[in-house]
Amino acid sequence: MKTYTYYPGCSIKGTAKQYEESLLAVFEALDLKLEELSDWNCCGATMYMAVDEEMSFALSARNLALAEKLERDVVAPCSACYLVLLKTQDYIRKYPELRIKIGKALAAADLVYHGTVKVRHPLEVFINDVGLEELQNRVRVPLRSFKIAPYYGCQIVRPYPNFDHSCYPETMDLLFETLGADVVDYPLKTRCCGGSLTGTIEEVGLRLNYILLEEAHRRGANCIVTVCPLCQFNLEAYQNRILKKYNNLNEMPVFYFTQLMGLAFGIEPEKLGLQRQMVRADQLLASVQIPVEKTRPEKVEQVA
Amino acid sequence: MNTNGNVKIGVYVCHCGTNIAAKVDVKDVVEFARTLPHVAVAREYKFMCSDPGQDLIKQDIKEFGINRVVVASCSPLMHEVTFRKAVEEGGENPFFFHMANIREHDSWVTDDPKKATEKAKALVAAAVRRVFFHEVLEKREVPIHPDVMIVGGGIAGIQAALTMADAGKKVYLVEREPSIGGHMAKFDKTFPTLDCASCILTPKMTQVASHPNIELLTYTEVESVEGYVGNFTVTVRRKARFVREDLCTGCGECEKICPVEMPSEFDEKLGMRKAIYRPFPQSVPNTYTISRRGIPPCQATCSIHQNAQAYIQLIARGKLREALDVILRDNPLPSICGRVCSHPCMSVCQRNRVDEAINIPGLKRFVTDYFADYELPKPDPSKERKEKVAIVGSGPSGLMCAYELRQRGYQVQIFEADSAPGGMLQQGIPAFRLPRKILRDEIERLERIGIRIQLNTRVGKDVTLEELRKKYDAVYIAIGAGVERKLNIPGEDLKGVWGGIDFLKRINSGQTVHPGDRVVVIGGGNSAIDAARTALRAGAKEVTIVYRRSRNEMPADQLEVEEAEKEGVRFYFLASPLRILGDTHVTGIECIRNKLGHPDESGRRRPVPIPNSEFTIPCDGVIVTIGQKADLESLNDTLGLAFTKQNTIAADPLTLETNIPGIFAGGDCVTGPDVVINAMFAGKKAAISIDRYLNGQDLTAGREKEGPFEPTFVVDTEGIPIKWRVEMPAIEIEKRRTFAEVHTGYTMEQAMEEAARCLSCAGCCDCELCTTVCERKAIDYNQKDELKEIKVGAIILATGFKTFDATRVPQYGYRRLPNVYTSLEIERLVNSAGPTGGEIILRDGRKPKAVGIIHCVGSRDVHHNRYCSRVCCMYSLKLAHLIKERTGAEVYNFYIDMRAFGKGYEEFYDRILEEGVHLIRGRVAEVTDVPLDPSEEGKLIIRAEDTLIGTVRRIPVDMVILSVGLEPQPDAEEIRRLFNISCSTEGFFLERHPKLAPVSTFTDGVFLAGACQGPKDIPDTVAQAGAAAAEALSLIDRGSVELEPNTAWIDEEACSGCQTCVSLCPFTAISYDAEKHISVVNEVLCKGCGTCVSACPSGAAQQHLFLDQEVFAEIEGILTV
Repeated sequence: MKTYTYYPGCSIKGTAKQYEESLLAVFEALDLKLEELSDWNCCGATMYMAVDEEMSFALSARNLALAEKLERDVVAPCSACYLVLLKTQDYIRKYPELRIKIGKALAAADLVYHGTVKVRHPLEVFINDVGLEELQNRVRVPLRSFKIAPYYGCQIVRPYPNFDHSCYPETMDLLFETLGADVVDYPLKTRCCGGSLTGTIEEVGLRLNYILLEEAHRRGANCIVTVCPLCQFNLEAYQNRILKKYNNLNEMPVFYFTQLMGLAFGIEPEKLGLQRQMVRADQLLASVQIPVEKTRPEKVEQVA
Repeated sequence: MNTNGNVKIGVYVCHCGTNIAAKVDVKDVVEFARTLPHVAVAREYKFMCSDPGQDLIKQDIKEFGINRVVVASCSPLMHEVTFRKAVEEGGENPFFFHMANIREHDSWVTDDPKKATEKAKALVAAAVRRVFFHEVLEKREVPIHPDVMIVGGGIAGIQAALTMADAGKKVYLVEREPSIGGHMAKFDKTFPTLDCASCILTPKMTQVASHPNIELLTYTEVESVEGYVGNFTVTVRRKARFVREDLCTGCGECEKICPVEMPSEFDEKLGMRKAIYRPFPQSVPNTYTISRRGIPPCQATCSIHQNAQAYIQLIARGKLREALDVILRDNPLPSICGRVCSHPCMSVCQRNRVDEAINIPGLKRFVTDYFADYELPKPDPSKERKEKVAIVGSGPSGLMCAYELRQRGYQVQIFEADSAPGGMLQQGIPAFRLPRKILRDEIERLERIGIRIQLNTRVGKDVTLEELRKKYDAVYIAIGAGVERKLNIPGEDLKGVWGGIDFLKRINSGQTVHPGDRVVVIGGGNSAIDAARTALRAGAKEVTIVYRRSRNEMPADQLEVEEAEKEGVRFYFLASPLRILGDTHVTGIECIRNKLGHPDESGRRRPVPIPNSEFTIPCDGVIVTIGQKADLESLNDTLGLAFTKQNTIAADPLTLETNIPGIFAGGDCVTGPDVVINAMFAGKKAAISIDRYLNGQDLTAGREKEGPFEPTFVVDTEGIPIKWRVEMPAIEIEKRRTFAEVHTGYTMEQAMEEAARCLSCAGCCDCELCTTVCERKAIDYNQKDELKEIKVGAIILATGFKTFDATRVPQYGYRRLPNVYTSLEIERLVNSAGPTGGEIILRDGRKPKAVGIIHCVGSRDVHHNRYCSRVCCMYSLKLAHLIKERTGAEVYNFYIDMRAFGKGYEEFYDRILEEGVHLIRGRVAEVTDVPLDPSEEGKLIIRAEDTLIGTVRRIPVDMVILSVGLEPQPDAEEIRRLFNISCSTEGFFLERHPKLAPVSTFTDGVFLAGACQGPKDIPDTVAQAGAAAAEALSLIDRGSVELEPNTAWIDEEACSGCQTCVSLCPFTAISYDAEKHISVVNEVLCKGCGTCVSACPSGAAQQHLFLDQEVFAEIEGILTV
């Protein structure tokens, strides 16, 4: 069974818990193993990078050095972690002076980083390692009534468009078409959600998310699907404030892409953290639930 | 070799300014050279190629008796000729010279000066040792063929052709499109004079056509090029036009009547042309051409080869009667097929690559519904035969076989066990897909041409197979597969559990059956879908289909699955039933989840149950549709008919013969359950076999293309605007609880609109309507491509450019947002002979009120092409002017720098500014349709930073024009190989020198003209064409050309006569002298490739200028430093 090193990052253990729950459930359903990196530390995300760049790179490099020892690909589901790890790798490769400094910092902890780790996003793992055909072969319940606005956010495609286009990516669109959903044309799919601006300059943050929500409605979507904890948080948790401020808008549920994948695979909603959603989507979720009861297995002749 | 005993070598090391001297320590190299054997003189000089530099050589030869010269400087490509001449003028044989390249091979590519100097020394040592062995050689002169070939008939090719022809030379002008004119013929007006492009171009085009010295070869491509300067042999392929150039007058009657419309390449796919066409009205030559590509994919894939393209094109033109005739040519059950066919044609329909396949069955059904009282073609009475054939089964296979045999004149009797004819069509397909009346009418048509059907007669009970075999001359068994498979799980005989076919049969025969309120259907084929939809109509409130594999693996027709989903049928994949629960009546079904494992014998992946994943679906009805098999026992066969292990009748796949002579079998009883169209295919195949059998002919010959085959060509779908399928009108979902036909059929307007989406993949559909109107009888369907060999002395390449593909910059929305165009597309809109007659309109017909023109699309771009395409600023200003003039719209040009470098260009720019065109300096970030306030609704918003005022602006416009850059033609790489020239890094053909030799290449005799060498405007193109013509003329008028004496020769004494070299020579320059038992090289044909030299096992084959001694000496020189 293919095993990946799992670098969760802080958000996934906290506000984005349902992302982790659904991610682990989906990986298990696909017969792929995720092993959490032991003793991982915070990646610093975008914030720390702005405060003390070198220190931030060193922090990030520690994770890379630890992961490198395991000789496996690293899966980083959080967009910020994903980008910071990629950026660290890139800068270490490009700037010899930085490389030397980081090397010294790591050496002080008896670590060394050779630059051989591959950092991957789970979306890309599904598309490339599993493949669309195999994903379709796992669908138990097609996501018929879902009209999805796929929202990639900026960090998984810029500035390193490693697996998709930097402004008009398609991987998530293809993924959900394969799962049977209706994917609407959503040109704002990589437009900024404001990041931390919802916390610092709230009116700017709210406005940016309002534009995203409004356009999703306009395009006929009935839910937004994201890959990034901060995007999901901004779009969902702040929705009631946005609705109050711009009162010409209706509610729209915002899911993590792994949650909907899990639904299509027939995994129970609780296993996917769907009870944690702040904007409820009961009718939508009911449309992919076949009323069933779990039965006690008895000895039965099975003719397949 | 002479004076080897008294060799005196002169070594000259060049500084080349700082090019060499900055890296290489020239003095050191000179010192070193003095130490080498036989070196009498070693000097350095700043510029050896200059006159004083050359004089050094000449003087040393005279004064010091230098008789071998080495110059260490630049590449021999630059100055080998110069120095050889100097040596010759100094009085020595010019080939007593060798050049060491210490610039391109050394100083320009080595970073470290120490290493560069060491390398220079090594190169000089090599040259010195080598030149010792140089021999006396004479230059070869070859005559130059006076004719010239020009490849490419745009303005560059035309200009060069006229210049050379006027000089009295015979010119072959080769152009691969049906007409000359190139890109210039597409433009409306040209900058800066706003001359009409056609007005200045067409006189030249006509001149070309009528010039006595120009042979115009259009619709022709170069296949291969052999030879060398002065003596090229070019093989060209004259593609078949299917119209005779010598007879066609260009009257256009054929074009008027042709029903096939295809996207017009000349109009950048914004408009249509006919299959028989001229690119534009002033085409030269004025001959029509037919695009005939072969069998279209839809026809090739159809099991009975219906010519879908033909009838679709006829529908689009409103020629419905002709469409019906085409359909009835091959299909006696078109009303049925139009409703229930599995349409393999739609899977290969090339329209899929643009948006969605054409609704081919929907269009077929439109025609048959339109002529509700149509009749099948009557069998020809003169062909009547007395032989009788019995057909067992009146399903689609039996009916088709009957029809085909009847048309061939045979007497046909069908025996049907059921009380109504039609087989699975009658029993298994629900009325809401195939109304009973349609089925009845279709069968009655067959009866009216003499096919007899006897109902309620079971073969094996009411009459035996043996009796049939005796009474009839041949028998075709088509009993289908009507016996249901069972799940064989506990609870299957509870009340409320139905077999699917049984359920469908009852409903179809008019019985009232209530399947339950909550029904589970097991299965994944078409029968499961039919059963599920029927269950809803029979009163079920909730229907769920449970299938053991995934949706991918489901055999059911995807369109039917979609209809089922729309009607509310739920699907649960990857689950298998374990047992049905309940006392006397069904209360639920217990299932287990699966995952897909390895493939089984059918090639599909086996479902593997997941342990401990059982679950129960509560239900009160279960319908089992998991497949059928043939009822072979019912035949009660006594003749010994062979069956297969899969319980089907054994029949030869090519001929459908069984093991009993005269008895044939086909359809589901042979293949297992399959679709209607394949059953019909089997029926047709059986008819052909039976016909041959009854005439004593061979049954197997020539039958490969009988069934579906792969289409042989790929259609270009680039640039077709997206237009989704016209939706088939259907009963609203809420009203779909009756058995009325769900799809109600297209209206005339809808049918014509849908048919117009057809791309006419094969082009001409062979309807032959054009031949009926051509008075000159110029149309010849049997024309073939023709290969022609042409000898010329010089070649000019003028193959032009292509525009940058704007989809590579998705931020600008090309092909995503409908009103974003490229400049070339706008040229066609603006041109009065274009698809809109010169009207500048949006896709929906409105006139734009604001237009944005974006410069530098694909050019000056680190992600695409770094270079500037030179013409875009000017043509963008020209388009701005034309648009403002014609529409009065506000025009905004977004530029980075304004390049108005030519004569009259800056003045033109001033004029545009005065006309009120807005110029915004800033590279456009994106074109978006997402409005941020109400004034932006329905507009395209261009976002750019206006760098002159330092603000980011959002400019709403109606139309966006992308000024795309120029790129080399897509096949430039193949073309350059044909002519043995190089390309630059951007892919344009490489000139010999960027400043001083812009029209010649590194291959003598091949010249360049126009945009194929780099982006340029029309004045520069015409100038360059003249220059290329001048150089070609200069070459030809020289009369002869000197060639390097680098030919091979064979030492007679060393040659053993093994003849290895003879077959290896690519120029067949070596022949075997049987008398002397040696091989001999013909010096005239030898090109000096060296193949024979390296292959010769005895070393008898040697090459001048590359003797073994010389080469080894060079190697020694390098290694001993």
